[in-house]
Amino acid sequence: MILKLNHLQEKTAAVASQEVVATMYSIMDEGKIDENEFSRLQVELDWIQYKKNFRDPVAAICGCVTSGEASRLLELRVDTRQVTAGTLKQDVLKALARANPNASAQDQDLMPLEEFQSLRTSIVWKFNKLYWTRLNDWEDATGTDYEKALPGGQSDGHRADAIGDSVNEFFALLKELEAKHQLPAEIFMLELGVGTGIRFGLWLDKFKALDEEHKTGYYPKLRVLLGDYSLATLEMSRPAVKNHTDLCSFLVIDGENPLKSLSFMRHKILQVHLTNVYDNLPNEEIVRKDGRLYFVHVRAFIPMTEAARLSAVYDFPLDKMRATVQRLVEGGLDHHLGDKSRAVSFWRDIWSAIKLEEKLVPFEDLPDFPYPGGLDYTKLEDILAVAPGDLRTHLSSGALDSFVNTLPLLHPRGHLQVNDIFVTDFKQYRLGYWGPGKLEGSLLSWVNGALLREVAERSGYDVHFAPFTYRKGSKNSVLYTTRRD
Amino acid sequence: MLPILPTSMIGSYAMPGWLERLKTEFFARRISRHDLDEINDAASKAAIKDQETAGLDIVTDGEARRDNMVDYFIERFPGVQIDRTSKKFYYDFYDSEVQGKLPVASLGLVQDFKFLRMFTDRQPKFCVTGPHCLTKRIRNKFYPSEEALALDIAKVMNMELKALAKAGANYIQIDEPYYSGFPEDLPWAIRALNALVEGIEARVAVHICYGNRYGKPSWEGSYRYLFPAILDAKVQQLTLEFARRGGEDLDLFKQYPSKFEVGVGVIDVKNQDVETPDLVAQHLRRALEVLPAERIWVMPDCGCFHLSRDVAFAKLQAMVEGTRMVRRELGH
Repeated sequence: MILKLNHLQEKTAAVASQEVVATMYSIMDEGKIDENEFSRLQVELDWIQYKKNFRDPVAAICGCVTSGEASRLLELRVDTRQVTAGTLKQDVLKALARANPNASAQDQDLMPLEEFQSLRTSIVWKFNKLYWTRLNDWEDATGTDYEKALPGGQSDGHRADAIGDSVNEFFALLKELEAKHQLPAEIFMLELGVGTGIRFGLWLDKFKALDEEHKTGYYPKLRVLLGDYSLATLEMSRPAVKNHTDLCSFLVIDGENPLKSLSFMRHKILQVHLTNVYDNLPNEEIVRKDGRLYFVHVRAFIPMTEAARLSAVYDFPLDKMRATVQRLVEGGLDHHLGDKSRAVSFWRDIWSAIKLEEKLVPFEDLPDFPYPGGLDYTKLEDILAVAPGDLRTHLSSGALDSFVNTLPLLHPRGHLQVNDIFVTDFKQYRLGYWGPGKLEGSLLSWVNGALLREVAERSGYDVHFAPFTYRKGSKNSVLYTTRRD
Repeated sequence: MLPILPTSMIGSYAMPGWLERLKTEFFARRISRHDLDEINDAASKAAIKDQETAGLDIVTDGEARRDNMVDYFIERFPGVQIDRTSKKFYYDFYDSEVQGKLPVASLGLVQDFKFLRMFTDRQPKFCVTGPHCLTKRIRNKFYPSEEALALDIAKVMNMELKALAKAGANYIQIDEPYYSGFPEDLPWAIRALNALVEGIEARVAVHICYGNRYGKPSWEGSYRYLFPAILDAKVQQLTLEFARRGGEDLDLFKQYPSKFEVGVGVIDVKNQDVETPDLVAQHLRRALEVLPAERIWVMPDCGCFHLSRDVAFAKLQAMVEGTRMVRRELGH
């Protein structure tokens, strides 16, 4: 058995390691796993930072080495934050049962909500979309604002000192352009993912004051595009910029392809800013294991015991669970389960119960795989050639698509600034579990900044990361682009 | 004999992904110089054929053998020191430096022109990067000023252009994309340009755009900065970008009368969407409001380097078809 520690939480790892080793021997002694399986089994210990996530305490990862082979157990992954003394054995046995196609439904304890597929297309993203389009309903039901659930209790984008620095930097750029007679007649800016609108409202207040102080006349030339894929969110953001509405346009924009709505702005925008958008865009993962590349397929499920409980509470037959969940995420809340409050309650309960089962699929058609923007087979090969050997990494597909579909909007002197949770080096992927996790009704994953940097190079930009220093303990970093020579 | 409104590319044709990969393999020493030369020859022949099939009147070699518009030249310049470890990807620029006076020597461009001549019967065009652009890319550790370096670059290249003209290159284009980024350099940049073209017996064009590095503009603004200084340039033709930026700057030719022919950019090379022939015709009609047909040449805004091959080919076809529409309107 290979025991692998994927994190730096020494105390938890030490305790869990001992318990895992003892448990695995005990299970082998009882004949529930044979010696051959034991000897090749890899057990990985993760420490999952999201308290709410899609993992059971122990997860079995199955797969086949080449397509056509029968799927078999490849890994057990243990969340050292969730395992509790005395229950590990039971959790391992449940995971092993789920990996065994011949095990009884009762032993497997799962009700699938979909078939195995890329995380990017999983039903969990429909839940995520539902959350952002029906944020008010969620917040009314929980009595908690989304922002209050964030680490620090508010968006990092609202930090006054961060906004002040951003305004000063942009002001300096405009001064420089003006000195070179290159100041555009209209100064376009884009805020992608507006949130509450508070950040941009504060930004504009500060910019206007600076402009008046220096009598530069830049403020009236500003053309501010506030974009979000949720009309509800755009509406909610309007009051925050009420003093500047003449300059602001509110646009429904596909976060993964801003060019779709904004192609007329190609090469015109001097500043594009995003706060914690990329971490909430569809993602998928790849694994390199023993020199072979795999694609991670997932299947959303609810533990059968929980499914039975919910079908009783909400009064529908258990075998209608999958269809009822589909109707919820596709048909909306308003006419579901009799009334909206019941539907919202069901939505929250289901979201809380959803887990993701994983299997590894050999990545055999590398050249023909539908890669996210800016990436192709040869680039991925080049990138992975310098990444650590065995690796599980995000493709950050939504973020990558968004990124490469935003760059063409930038004015030659424009820049993109993204405040988000980034993994900035592939080596970090060997030292941690980087998502997905749950935050309220949304889904979060760290963003593969190392991949973005490599892709950006081929798109004519250098990408730099700086720590977000405006809040102590913040895990955010700031990505900013400079033009590549 | 060229028709009215002659059509051509600016210089480069689409750089296929497979060729980019192979060029980078060469830098990683995984394929030989000999093999890369053969690959470049094959890609150049394909580019020539595509231009002919699209119906262009004037043909370039597609510049497949150039990693970028700078390194192809500075690699050949005796006296320019190059850090050959400075490239990670073939398209990157070398770090280069001049530490002493540039000796006058052949750059060996005639061979590439002869290759083009061998594989087309159409009117050929050969493009070289101009002294201003090269000066901006080479670190100057010797000359007292950028102008002094540019004039010596011009001197070396002048000899090369004479050799090209002698070999039959009767249409030569000088590429100067950095004018737009450094308009304050224009007085000395034009002196260097004139030194470069002194005594060249060929039609000489100068191509001035707003940059196309990575398929993006490097600067924005108006061609107004060119005038009146550009009127002193001893060239027959200016080739400028108008498709992406709109035709407003064409009016500068009304304001500043000259004898220049104008290569009018009618294809946006920074956008993968293919123009319709109608749109090309509209651009040309706009140019005809300002310039006589005899002085208009038809081109993309800049090189097609960053377009995919199928898009580049379709754009050239649309350019040819749109031009034919206008020729018919003019009775040709």
